[in-house]
Amino acid sequence: MLKKTSWMITAAVAVAFSGAAYADWKPTKPVEFVVTSSPGGGTDNFARVVQSIISKHKLMEQPVVVTNKGGGSGAEGFIYTKVAAGDSHKLTFGTNNAYLLPYVAKLAYKPDELTPVAAMALDEFLLWVKADAPYKDAKSYIDAVKAKPDTFKMGGSQSKDTDQTLTSLIQDATGAKFIYVPFQGGGAAGVQLAGGHIDSNTNNPNENAGQWKAGAVTPLCVFSPTRLQEGPKVTATMGWSDIPTCKEAGIPIDQFQMPRTVWLPGGVPSEAVAFYADLMKKVSETPEWKEYIERTSQTNRFLAGEELKTFIASDDAKNRKVFEQEGWIVR
Amino acid sequence: MISRFSAEIATATLTAGLGLAAVVGALEFGIGWGDAGPEPGAFPFYIGLLVVAASLVNLVQATVGREGLRSTFLDHEQAKRVASFFIPMVVFVIVARLLGLYVASALYLTFVMWFQGGYRILVSAASGVAAAVAFYFVLEYAFQVPILKGPLEAALGLY
Amino acid sequence: MENFASLMHGFGVALSTYHVALMMVGVLLGILVGVLPGLGAPNGVSLLLPLTFTMDPVAAIILLTSMYWGALFGGSTTSILFNIPGEPSSVATTFDGYPMARQGQATQALTLAFLSAGFGALVGVILITILSSWVAKFALRFSSPEYFAVYFLAFASFIGLGAASPFKTIVSMGLGFAFAAVGMDTVSGGLRLTYGFNELLSGISFLIAVIGLFGIGELIMTMEEGLRFDGIKARVKARDVFKTIGMLPRYWLTLLRSSAIGCWMGITPGGPTAASFMSYGIAKRLSRRKEAFGNGAPEGVVAPETADHAAGSSAILPMLALGVPGSATAAVMMGGLMIWGLNPGPMLFIERPDFVWGLIASMYLGNIVAVLIVLATIPLFASILRIPFAIIGPVIVIVCFIGAYTVAGRPFDLWLALSFGVAGYLFKKLDYPIAPLVLAMVLGDKAEDAFRQSMIMSRGSLSIFWSNGLVATLMVLGLALALGPLLSGTVGKLVRPKPTSAAV
Repeated sequence: MLKKTSWMITAAVAVAFSGAAYADWKPTKPVEFVVTSSPGGGTDNFARVVQSIISKHKLMEQPVVVTNKGGGSGAEGFIYTKVAAGDSHKLTFGTNNAYLLPYVAKLAYKPDELTPVAAMALDEFLLWVKADAPYKDAKSYIDAVKAKPDTFKMGGSQSKDTDQTLTSLIQDATGAKFIYVPFQGGGAAGVQLAGGHIDSNTNNPNENAGQWKAGAVTPLCVFSPTRLQEGPKVTATMGWSDIPTCKEAGIPIDQFQMPRTVWLPGGVPSEAVAFYADLMKKVSETPEWKEYIERTSQTNRFLAGEELKTFIASDDAKNRKVFEQEGWIVR
Repeated sequence: MISRFSAEIATATLTAGLGLAAVVGALEFGIGWGDAGPEPGAFPFYIGLLVVAASLVNLVQATVGREGLRSTFLDHEQAKRVASFFIPMVVFVIVARLLGLYVASALYLTFVMWFQGGYRILVSAASGVAAAVAFYFVLEYAFQVPILKGPLEAALGLY
Repeated sequence: MENFASLMHGFGVALSTYHVALMMVGVLLGILVGVLPGLGAPNGVSLLLPLTFTMDPVAAIILLTSMYWGALFGGSTTSILFNIPGEPSSVATTFDGYPMARQGQATQALTLAFLSAGFGALVGVILITILSSWVAKFALRFSSPEYFAVYFLAFASFIGLGAASPFKTIVSMGLGFAFAAVGMDTVSGGLRLTYGFNELLSGISFLIAVIGLFGIGELIMTMEEGLRFDGIKARVKARDVFKTIGMLPRYWLTLLRSSAIGCWMGITPGGPTAASFMSYGIAKRLSRRKEAFGNGAPEGVVAPETADHAAGSSAILPMLALGVPGSATAAVMMGGLMIWGLNPGPMLFIERPDFVWGLIASMYLGNIVAVLIVLATIPLFASILRIPFAIIGPVIVIVCFIGAYTVAGRPFDLWLALSFGVAGYLFKKLDYPIAPLVLAMVLGDKAEDAFRQSMIMSRGSLSIFWSNGLVATLMVLGLALALGPLLSGTVGKLVRPKPTSAAV
C-alpha cells in the first residue's frame, strides 16, 4: 500500500512538471506508434495496450497506426525515429535498449538524438529455477553453482541484453559462474527451463507466469528493492508478494529493473513532448492500464520531464559499468 | 545479342563477388572455433568461401565447355522485349521513391496500357488512376498500412 | 474421451450465428491479405488486433484464426496463378502449381490445393484435439540440439533433388545462407554483414527475396518469351471443380504422409514453410514419376499444401500450451491473448476451457468455411487470367512492389526486390535452382542459432548431437536422407553413364 501511494505522489509531481507546459499543441494527422520489437514481443504488447486504451477512452482525436520495426534488436526503430527528426507524429516505444543498444553495436544513432517522453512501468526480473530442482532458496542455488563453476546454464533472451547484464551482475556479486545461453526471447528461455534444458533464467514475471502456475518452474527471488505487489495467489501456496527480494535472499543486488519507455524524434517542439507526456499520464491512470500492470506483474511507475532524465542517466551509468567490465562496448 | 557463354561468366562472377563480400564481411568478427563453439563470423566466412569456390568451378566449366555454350542467351528481339518491360519497371521504382507508390502506380499502369497495350490514352489514364485509388482504399483504410507517399498526397492532405 | 466431451462443449461455444459470421468475414479478409504478397497473415492478424480489444476473447480469436486460414489459402492462389507466393509457406506450391496453371489446369490445381490444404488442417486440428497434453509434453523435450536436428532433417530431405549442376546448387544454397546471416546475430548480440548500411540492419527479408525471385523474375521470363499469358486459357467449368474433388482420394498416400510431416513440423519448431518444402522433397523422392515433378505433377501441389496447413494448425498448440509461437502469425496471436488477459501456458487449458475448446472447435468450423469460400472464389481468380496481359502484367508488377514495401515499410526494399527479380531471371535462364536459396534463407539463421546455442551448452563439443535418443535419431535420419541420394546417385552413374543433357 505504501508503495502505491509513493508512486501516486511521483505521478502527481510528474503532472506538475509536464502539465503546465503543454499549451496548445495537438496532433494534426494520424500518429504512428513505432514499436521496436516484432509483433508479439514485450514492447509490442506495451504499445498495443497503450493504443487500445487511447482508442477506448478517446484520449486523442487522431487515430493511431502501429508499425513494427524490430530489426536489429530494435535498432531499426530507433534509427527510423532519428531520421524522422522534427516529426511530432511518430512516437517510439522501447525499453532501456533505446540508450543501451548503441554501446554494444555500431549503430547509426546516438541516444541524445531521441527525445525522451515518458517511462511508464518498470518490468521486474526474477531468478527462476525448475520446480523440481533441489534448491529451497536463492542462496542454496548460488552455493550449488559456486561449487561447480561453468556447469550451470543460465538462459536468457538475446545477447548483451538485460538478461545477460543481470547474469553478469549476479556473477560479480556472488562469485558464481554460469554458462549463459542466449535464446530468441524470454518465452523460449522459459520453456527451455520448464523442459529442464537449462538450470535457471532471469525472466520477467509475465514470461514465466504460465509455467509457474503449472508447477514447472519456481521463482527464488526478485531483483527489486521491495517485494512485488500483493495479488491473487498464483500457485496453491504462493503469490507474487511471497517471493523474497534477492537482497533478502542473499544476493547483494538491490535493484535491476527495465523501464518501458516512450520517445519522440529529436528536434520536436517542447509542447509536443508535453502533450504526449500528458497523454501517457492519462493512459497510466486508466483501470485498463492498472489491469495490464497487474497481469504482467510489472511495477507501475510513471516518469516524465526532469525525473525521467535523471532516471535514464543513472540507469545508463549502471549498465555501462557492466558493459565496460564485460568488454561489450564497441567503438 | 548475348551468348549463353557471356551470361554464364557474368553470373558466376557476380555470385563469386557476393561470396567474397560475405567472406570479407565475416572477417570483421572472429571466424575461429572458440570455447563456446563457432564465433559469429565463422558461419558466413565458410559459406562465403564455399560460394566463391563453387562460382569458380562454374567459371571454369563455362570456359572449358565454351563450344557448347555458343547458343544464344538473349537474341535481339528478346532483348527488346525484356528491355521494354524492365526499363519502365526501373523507372517505376525511381518514381515511387520520389512521388510515392500511388502516383507511381497510376503513371506506370497508364504508360504500359497506353504505350504497350495500345489502349487509348484516356482509357489507360482512367485505369491507372482507378487502380491507384483502389489500392489506396484497400491499404490505407481497410488494412491501415501506410505506404510510401509523396508530395501529391501531402498537397491533398492525405496521410 | 475427456477431450471429446470438452470439444463438444467447445462446439457449443463456437457454433453461433455471430461466430460463423465472424469466420466468414475473417476468411474473406484473410484471402485478400494472402493474395497480396508481403502483406501476409502476420500483418493481417496484427492489423485486426486493435479491433478485437473490445470483443470477447472467443469471438476475437475466432476472427483472427479465420483470417489466418484465409491468408494461407489466398497465398496458394497467387502461387498457382502467377508464380508469386502470397505467403512464405506457399513457395513450394509454385513448383508444380504454376506449371499446372500454364498447362491450362488452373482450376484443377486450385481445387487440389484448397482441398488438400483443408485436409491437412483438419488432421492438424484432430491431432490437437486428441493428443494435446501429450504433444505439449513432447514439445518440452526439444532444446537447441533437437531444433538443429529438425532443421537439418528438413534441409536434408529437400537438397540433392534437382537435375541441376551440383555447383550451381551449392552457389544458390550458399547465397541463401549468406543472405540469412545479414543483420542482428542473436547469439553474439552483434550486427553481421551490414557493411555499415542502416538498410541492412534488419536483415534481408525472405519475403522480399521471394517476391523478386519468383514474381518479378517470372514476369521478365514471360515477357522475354513474348507469351503474354495467352498460354493460360483458363476456362472455368464448375464440372472441373467436382471432377477434381473426385480425383482427390487417389492421392491418399501423399495426403497422409504430408499431414504427418506437417504435424511434426508444426509441433517441433520447424514451421509451415519448412514443412511444405520437406513434404515436397519427400513426395518427389518416393514418387515413381520423379520427372513429372516440377512440370505440373498433381502430387507436387497436394504434398506442400497439405503439410503447410497441417503445420499451420498444429502450431497453434505449442502457442497455447507452452507460450511458444510456432510461426510469426502465432506470435501475433499470442500477443493478442495477453492483451485479452489470457496467459498462454499449460494452465490455460484448465483455467479457460471455454476459450481453448471454443478455439479448437472454431478451427474445425473455420477450415470448413474457408474451404467452401475459396472453392467458390476459384472462377473469380481463374478469370483474372483472361484479362489481357497489358493490363494484368503491370498490375502484378505494382502488387509485387507494394507488397515488397508493406513487408517492413522500407523504401530500400523496392530496390532489393528489383535486384532479386533480375537474379531470379538470370538463375532461371542459366539453370541455377532457386529453391535451395529460398529454403536456406528460411532455415539458415535458425539452424545457425540452434547450432551455436548447442555449442554454448556443450562447451564446444559436438557430442551433444547424439547425447540423447531423440536428437540422435533425428540426426541419423537427417544424415540418411542427405547421403542417400548422393550414394545411390554415384552408384547409378557408375553403372550406367547418363547421356549428357542438352542445354535447355
